Amino acid sequence: MSNKNNKIPFSEDNYTHNINRLNERKLDRRGFMKTLAGAAGVFAISSIPWGAVAAKELMGLGEKEYPHKKIADVDELPIGDAVEFKFPGAHDDAILIRLSENKYVAYQNACTHLRCPVYWVKDQGEMICPCHHGKFDVETGSPTAGPPRRPLPEIEIKVKDSAIYAVKVKRYEA
Amino acid sequence: MKRSYIGIVILCFILFLNIIFTQSMVHQFFYENYVNTLIFMGLNLLLFPTAVIAYKKTIDVLE
Ligand code: FES
Repeated sequence: MSNKNNKIPFSEDNYTHNINRLNERKLDRRGFMKTLAGAAGVFAISSIPWGAVAAKELMGLGEKEYPHKKIADVDELPIGDAVEFKFPGAHDDAILIRLSENKYVAYQNACTHLRCPVYWVKDQGEMICPCHHGKFDVETGSPTAGPPRRPLPEIEIKVKDSAIYAVKVKRYEA
Repeated sequence: MKRSYIGIVILCFILFLNIIFTQSMVHQFFYENYVNTLIFMGLNLLLFPTAVIAYKKTIDVLE
């Protein structure tokens, strides 16, 4: 600092602003370690909600039965066709596919990759997610191609008085 | 008076574990293995005090 005055220009790598910042912007070892410890805290805190919801499900609160919901009439839905509906909540997209006279399958159709809606493609006999070409087996809901790794959650279906009802979302077999 | 970098190595490793545990936790959650979800959450929670201790113990270590 002291011998700068009589040398012009003195050796300083910035001529445009002569405020000496004393390296205050520099990420030193200590600051870096503090950041890392802080990141661990953020990870810890943000995993709490997941655990809380998991605990809630474990205690059986998530097991609650939804009211049966009518999806369609049997004669409205030709064999090989699909209808979309909402189950169990008003924002949970689901799809019902009639495979044969008496065989129906229904899934929550948010793709298990990144939640795009999955469509039933009749001529290919497959459920296809347009986003990244994920494919699902229509009989079981399990992924057959593309990025998804987890089966679509299946919805239990009941046929009563020539109408089709959604009963509940099946759990995965552990 | 050179500082040791052992703390940074340990903390980076903790961050690495954090990432792994978080991803496993989310996957286990969607697979509905809720016990495993809770285990991974516990591990993630434990890593935070570990990180703080690692920080305190290594911040002044000299080589
Ligand atoms: S969201 Fe369905 S494949 Fe990516």
